[in-house]
Parts: sequence; C-alpha cells; structure tokens
Amino acid sequence: MRAIFAVFKREVGLYFRSPIAYAIAFALLLFLGVLFNGYVVQANSRFPADPTFAPSLLTFLTFLIAPLLTMRLLAEESREGTLEVLMTLPMNESAFIIGKFLAAWFYYTMLLLVSAIYYLILTQIGVPDQGAAFGAYFGAWLYGGAVLAVSMIWSAITEDQVVAAFLGAATILVLYLADVAAIWIAGQGTTSSATADFVRELGLPAHYDATLARGIVRAEDILYFVFMMIGALFITTRIVETRRWRA
Amino acid sequence: MIDVQNLTKRYGEVTAVRGISFTASPGQVTGFLGPNGAGKTTTMRILTGFTPPTSGTAKVAGYDVFDQSMEVRKRVGYLPENVPLYRDMTARGYLMYLGEIRGVRNLRRKADEVLERVGLANRAESRIRTLSKGMRQRVGLAQALLHDPEVLILDEPTIGLDPYQVLELRALVRELGRDHTLLFSTHILSEAEQVCDRVVIINQGQIVAQGSPAELRQELERGGRVLVRVDAPPASVVPVLQGLPGAGSVDVQFDNVVVTPSSPDIDPRPEIARAIVQQGWNLIELRPVAVNLEEIFLELTRQEAAQTDDAQAYATETETAAS
Repeated sequence: MRAIFAVFKREVGLYFRSPIAYAIAFALLLFLGVLFNGYVVQANSRFPADPTFAPSLLTFLTFLIAPLLTMRLLAEESREGTLEVLMTLPMNESAFIIGKFLAAWFYYTMLLLVSAIYYLILTQIGVPDQGAAFGAYFGAWLYGGAVLAVSMIWSAITEDQVVAAFLGAATILVLYLADVAAIWIAGQGTTSSATADFVRELGLPAHYDATLARGIVRAEDILYFVFMMIGALFITTRIVETRRWRA
Repeated sequence: MIDVQNLTKRYGEVTAVRGISFTASPGQVTGFLGPNGAGKTTTMRILTGFTPPTSGTAKVAGYDVFDQSMEVRKRVGYLPENVPLYRDMTARGYLMYLGEIRGVRNLRRKADEVLERVGLANRAESRIRTLSKGMRQRVGLAQALLHDPEVLILDEPTIGLDPYQVLELRALVRELGRDHTLLFSTHILSEAEQVCDRVVIINQGQIVAQGSPAELRQELERGGRVLVRVDAPPASVVPVLQGLPGAGSVDVQFDNVVVTPSSPDIDPRPEIARAIVQQGWNLIELRPVAVNLEEIFLELTRQEAAQTDDAQAYATETETAAS
C-alpha cells in the first residue's frame, strides 16, 4: 500500500507538471466546449438537452486520450533503466503498476470532473435527466479506467512511447468498433446471431452507449469494465515480470 | 555476507554465468574483476533480486535471493551500471521517492544524511539533469545507502568519471567497506588492487581465481621470474647463470638479467646469489619480477582461452613443463 501510494503520488505530480497532460486537457475541453455549444443551440426548445452528451463524447475520445496518458508510464522507465532500481526495491511489480495506473485514472477523473460543468450548465437552462447523467458520468469513469489499463499494456511491451501510443489507440478502436463488426457479422447471415451478439458484448459500446449512458446501471456492465481493468493490469504485471527474467 | 553457490544464468543459448561460487564477508571490499561481458553485471543482478538465476543458489545477508527476494531487497543497496536516475527530479526528491517506497523511517533526515555523506548536501535541490556525471554517480550511491543496507553492490561505480572523481569514489568505497559487505565490480585492474580486500576474477562466466591481491600475486610469483642486477656487464653474467641448475632461460633486459626457472616450484635465488659471489661480483639486487594484478589477470584469462581452445593440449603442456 505504501509503495502504491508513493508511486501514485509521484506519477500524479508528473501529470500536473507535464505539458502533454495540459495539452490533452486543453484540446479536450475546447473540443467539448465547441460541440456542446452547437448542441445546446440545436436542442434549444426543440428537445430536452441530454446530460450524457459530454461524458459520451469523452468516452469516444479516450482512444486518443488514454494512449497519450499511458504511453510514458512503463516505456520510459524501461528505456531509461530506472526500472532496474525500482525492481530491486522491496516492492512487488503489481504495486508499482497499480500505482501508475491509478495516477493515470486519477488524471482522467479530473478531466471527467471538469466536463461536469456542462451538466451544471444544463441544470441552469433546463431539467436534465439526473438518472441518465449519473449513469453516463459513472460509466465514463469506469470506461476510462478500462481503456487506460488496456493501453498501458503496450507501454510495458515496447520501450518506444510512440509505438505504445499508436498500438494503444488501435486496440481501443478495435474494442470500440466491435459493435460495427457485430452488425457486419449479423448482416452476412451465414452464422447464428449468437456469434454477432458475442462479438458485440466483447466491445465497449455494448456496455456503455447502450446501457450506462442511458441511465441503465447493470451489474454486468460494471463487471465488464472492472474485469477489463484487473485483467489488463494482470497482463501488464506479467509482462514486466517476464522482461525482468530475461534481463 | 554474500554466499554464492554454483550460480548459473542462461539466456536461451547464451550462458552468461557458469556455475560460479564465491563468498564476500562483512567489513571487506570484495572486488569482482573481469573483462566486459564476463558476467559481472548478470551476477550482480541476480544478487539484488532483479533477475532470477537459472540454477544454483545465492544468499545475501542470510536470505535466498530467489525464495526470500523481498528480505534480500530490504538489506541490499544497489548501484546499477550507468546509474539510471529520474532526470527531472531533484537529488533529494529522488531519495525521498525511493525512501517512501522502501518505508525508510525519519526519511527527510536520512536523505539529508546520505547526501551529506556523498558530498552533495549543497546540491540537494538541484535537478538531476543539471548534475555532472560524477555527481549523478553520487546520487546513485546515496540511493544505495539510504536504508542503511547490510550489503552494498556497486556495478562499475567509477566508470566514466574523471581521475579526481575516481580517487574520491575509491576512497568512499574503501570507507564504506569497513561497515558493510561490499561487492564492487570493475574491469580496471589497478582499481581492484587498490580498493579490494579480496578479488574474484571472472572470465567468460567462470571464476578463474580468487583471493586477496597479495595472495594472488604470491601465487603467481612462486617460482616466477627473478631479476638480477650485478655490477658486471650482463654479457659476462648470462653464461654463468645459464650454467646453474634449475635456471630455465636467462634474458637480458636493459642492465638487468632476468632468470626464468625451469620449473615453477624451483626458487633459483639461493643458487644465483652463491654463483655471483663466487665470481667476485657485487650483487646489487635480487628479487622476484613484480607481478601486478594486471599480469595475473592477463595470465589467467589467457590460460582460460587456451583451455577452451584445446584443454587436452594445455594439460599436456603443463605436465611437460612441471616434470
């Protein structure tokens, strides 16, 4: 615990001092702000403004945000050789990796909290659906944790941050596009619909856009994200361990 | 205390360390000496728990490096080769970070203490990026000392330092050796000779010799070459010495005569002294040709090469030489 906290504290500090993290926050908020403005104008007195707009958009953008936040975490330590010192401290690999992951998730949570301003604006100009808002923000929080954990795997595999970011983005997009793949499989009509459903359930949208973002909080969706985090962190730990065995 | 038994490390086809055994005692500086790629870093990485051995055991401070890795890590201070550091942190910040992970008590005071000890107290708040190579090396050393480890493992700590910094660091290593079990690797022979109480020479993953520098020297001097200085022209001295029993070959080096005995077990000095006095010359100097660690090292690693090339031929050769 002590080690997790020490690693977490240092990494959070680095995020708040890193120009990349600020650039991400700036780009994200600018993007959300512009789109939100357009959306509110469009919705104006025609249909009730949807409070899930900002968090849903944020989850879509994680394919860009998450890899940029996680690419550095392990690749840099490995390339600089600082991993060697850390791995000879009385600390498990898992503590080190969990500390780093929590720091990335913490920064993401900050971004999500800042985007809550759009919900507050909506409460001033209308009556947004509070259930949907809760589901969407809570879901976006879990969603972010899951994709951060997944893209962190690549940072453990390669020492090259650009490669790690690129592969992380690709992996998240694949998970995002499972829905499209499922539709395509169903359209072929050659296999049973069970296959299409299975592929769909593997993807991210089936557990967020279709449920949480509409205010439907289901245990299976929460477990999907939680297991994805645990699974990805476990894989990352094993990769770091294996690298050490070969060192 | 470090106790290594039959340690082997393989990476696929490559065997980096082949069944080495040695011990390092508290209160001593043990030098791990060998050419680059001999297996020094690999051995040290095993001892610090960074990488597990393929076979064999190693105990550090009484704990097995594989089965009780966490206990070992608590008791070892390690300075890796090339001293990896976080360049954006300050020297103190770096120590505070590692100290927090280690759970060092009174961390702030402890960090200042070790910075003082390595002579960096005035640069505590400087970012590591701005420090010179020598200073970084000392930050690395401070990190290794932070938790009062019983055992210190330093991988080539003097590499890349200027001569003045090298001297400083060697003095510090000697000082630390007094109250730690200190294992220190180097490929610089004179350094091992100056700093170490014990030397373990490793080549191609195997230990070729170990002992104190003096012991190693003695071992090679025994029956070694003898230097003779006489106040007579060397040309007239050589025939006399050649006639002596046990004198293998006699060469002239500048004004001196060097006698190599026919067998390493023979000490030709008494015979030489008698012969010279009988000739009525004055014997100015008669001593074994000084062997330094460098010669021992070259000798041993050359033997090693001969053995791997053709062990049989080498064995026959030494037998013939001995008889």
